[in-house]
Amino acid sequence: MIVVNNKEKIEWYEGMTVQDVLDKMGYVFPLITVSVNKQLVHKEDYATYEVPDNANINVFHLAHGG
Amino acid sequence: MAIKTKAGPKKIEISINGKAATVVEGTYLLNAVMDAGYNVPTLCHHKDLTPDGTCRLCLCEVEVNGKKKLVTACNYPVRDQIKVATTTDEIKKHRKNLAEMYLGRWPNVEVIQNIARLCGATDAEKYKSELTDENPKACILCGHCVRACNSFMIQDILGFAGRGIKRHLTMPFGDVDPHCVGCTSCSYVCPTGAIQITDDMNNPVDPELIRSHGMKVNAEMANLDALQNRMREVGTANIVEVMDAYDLLPVHNFKFGKHPDTHKIDSKVMKSKYFTQGAADACWLGCSMACAKAVDDFELKTGPYKGQKVVVDGPEYETAAGGSNMGGFDLDFIVEYNFYCDTYGIDTISFATTMAFVMEAFEAGIITEEYTGGKILNFGAMKETLECLHEMARGDGFGVEVGQGVRRLKEKWVKELGADPGFLQDIGMEVKGLEFSEYVSKESLAQQAGYAMAIKGPQHDEAWLIFIDMVNNQIPSFKDKAEALYYFPLFRIWFGLLGLCKIVWNDVAPADNSKYPPQEAAKIPDHVENYWKFFEGMTGIPVDEDKMLLQAERVFNLQRLMSYYLGYGTRKDDLPPLRAIGPATVEEYLSREERYDRQMKEDMGIDPEARTVEEKLSITRDYRYQQYNKVLDAAYKRRGWDENGIPTVERLKQIGIDIPEVMALLEKPEQ
Repeated sequence: MIVVNNKEKIEWYEGMTVQDVLDKMGYVFPLITVSVNKQLVHKEDYATYEVPDNANINVFHLAHGG
Repeated sequence: MAIKTKAGPKKIEISINGKAATVVEGTYLLNAVMDAGYNVPTLCHHKDLTPDGTCRLCLCEVEVNGKKKLVTACNYPVRDQIKVATTTDEIKKHRKNLAEMYLGRWPNVEVIQNIARLCGATDAEKYKSELTDENPKACILCGHCVRACNSFMIQDILGFAGRGIKRHLTMPFGDVDPHCVGCTSCSYVCPTGAIQITDDMNNPVDPELIRSHGMKVNAEMANLDALQNRMREVGTANIVEVMDAYDLLPVHNFKFGKHPDTHKIDSKVMKSKYFTQGAADACWLGCSMACAKAVDDFELKTGPYKGQKVVVDGPEYETAAGGSNMGGFDLDFIVEYNFYCDTYGIDTISFATTMAFVMEAFEAGIITEEYTGGKILNFGAMKETLECLHEMARGDGFGVEVGQGVRRLKEKWVKELGADPGFLQDIGMEVKGLEFSEYVSKESLAQQAGYAMAIKGPQHDEAWLIFIDMVNNQIPSFKDKAEALYYFPLFRIWFGLLGLCKIVWNDVAPADNSKYPPQEAAKIPDHVENYWKFFEGMTGIPVDEDKMLLQAERVFNLQRLMSYYLGYGTRKDDLPPLRAIGPATVEEYLSREERYDRQMKEDMGIDPEARTVEEKLSITRDYRYQQYNKVLDAAYKRRGWDENGIPTVERLKQIGIDIPEVMALLEKPEQ
């Protein structure tokens, strides 16, 4: 089980990447910053960075103009 | 169902001068070798401009699959596992030869002299000729200015004319182009001083300070926007599909946050089938964001201009989302109501939200076909909606009634039709008499308060906190929410007081904004600094966050007091309808039953099993109003207002506006 933004809990599986988490959450907004267990993950690593079980993932969305 | 988001570019292992390096696919080779610590000479390259490859000084040797070739590093995107050599005998010879030619032509220009030194070129006489220009500020034809005009301003006012030795920089037909707005980008990027600014309009104290920060904005728009919100490409419409993905796009009078037909009105369709204009418009000529879009040759199907082809300014996000709110998932309809609202002088947001309310009332049987003059006004009744709009403008028929807006319709229908006042209050999306703008605020307490506390009614300019609160969950406590409800409106008000657009604050972000911790990153500190420097450059008065907040807070409190004086500035005026803070009907509850049941269990500690939907709706309603009132209490306290939402004398003293005229507003409310 991993926790996204200290709120949403999603099932973890072997080989799960940051990109998989974003897909699962439906996070399509382009202005985001991702950290896994407080470690910043760059956009180019989303598809390969594997998320460990019990990870705390923060997907920080910047407010837009509204 | 999981949504497939766009995967980022991959990384590639390359070798630079025998040393391993990792680069992101698509990185230009010059950036890769510079990042690896190698200094490669270049004249035409500029970090903020599209690479051109014309000076040929940055040639490097690239080996792909055993084959070697020379490439201009500045515009060579890395896509393979290449081996790179930045300095070989052949490259050295080539660079020296080029540098001698440049030196022969422009011997006294400092950047040329520096390049010559770097390339070992010392003989200025070798290529001396009738072309030699002794001017130390000569134009060296690097093209920075031409590219800045294009990529910063989306203009092509500067360009090259002539071939070979006759090549020179010019405006079209050698004349001053009236389209030039004097943005000064060309001068800013000119490496020699060949382009000089001769006039600084409006007499700023420090034009250089304004220019240097303005160019940061330009460079971000040119280089980052296409990867971020695509404001240049599609304007604010970029978030139609984003809001749908996050369950935030208003559908059917804010009942729902997404719809299967959203793809028919999203920015991709607008871009491919509608938008024909993308340049800066009268909003501000010279804006490097140029987010305003327009549709040319749109043939109207209804109304007084039926059959005519017109230009339509928009549609923007709010107009498209107004469409989904009315159930009108058709861009022909959206562009048409956009045009007629603009032409008649009617606000698209208030029109759409009122119309959505009318449709729900129609479907609930509060008003009937007879009452609407024969119009069947279910959600999605686009033809009938346009009829209402035309009637509203002409001053006849049911459209006149729609034009009264949600608040008056509620009162009228209760009084004249005996409608249930509680139901109309729950679904009537207005606060202080103004209709809600087009975002679903149900799952964000901070946004609910941001909307309902807004001085002039629920418009999103004052506070847009949905992502920070609902998605990021970064302001979980009431105190955190109150802090965001304190600073966000003040930032926006201050930008507005300066007459500056808020969009360049947070619709584009610096590439390294993630260097700040989340609470700070949300404020985009580098962009706030830009605004401070614009202010300082113009007035000579330095400003920081405390000074900015104080200036804005004075105005904000004055506005609140004026609102109070006019009868709209107390707690009762800051209460939203149920629809804005949670599900208002059984249909709505059931549409997100799993979510609401989970919240009941986890947040309220109540087991939803064995309870009827009506009971669950009632429990959720009570809980959410309770939560809302708590956030209101916290926000009032942070702002220095009393529990009725009225600014306290103490606070007015603290911020220095306890002058008699202001105090009079406090003492004598009209209501």
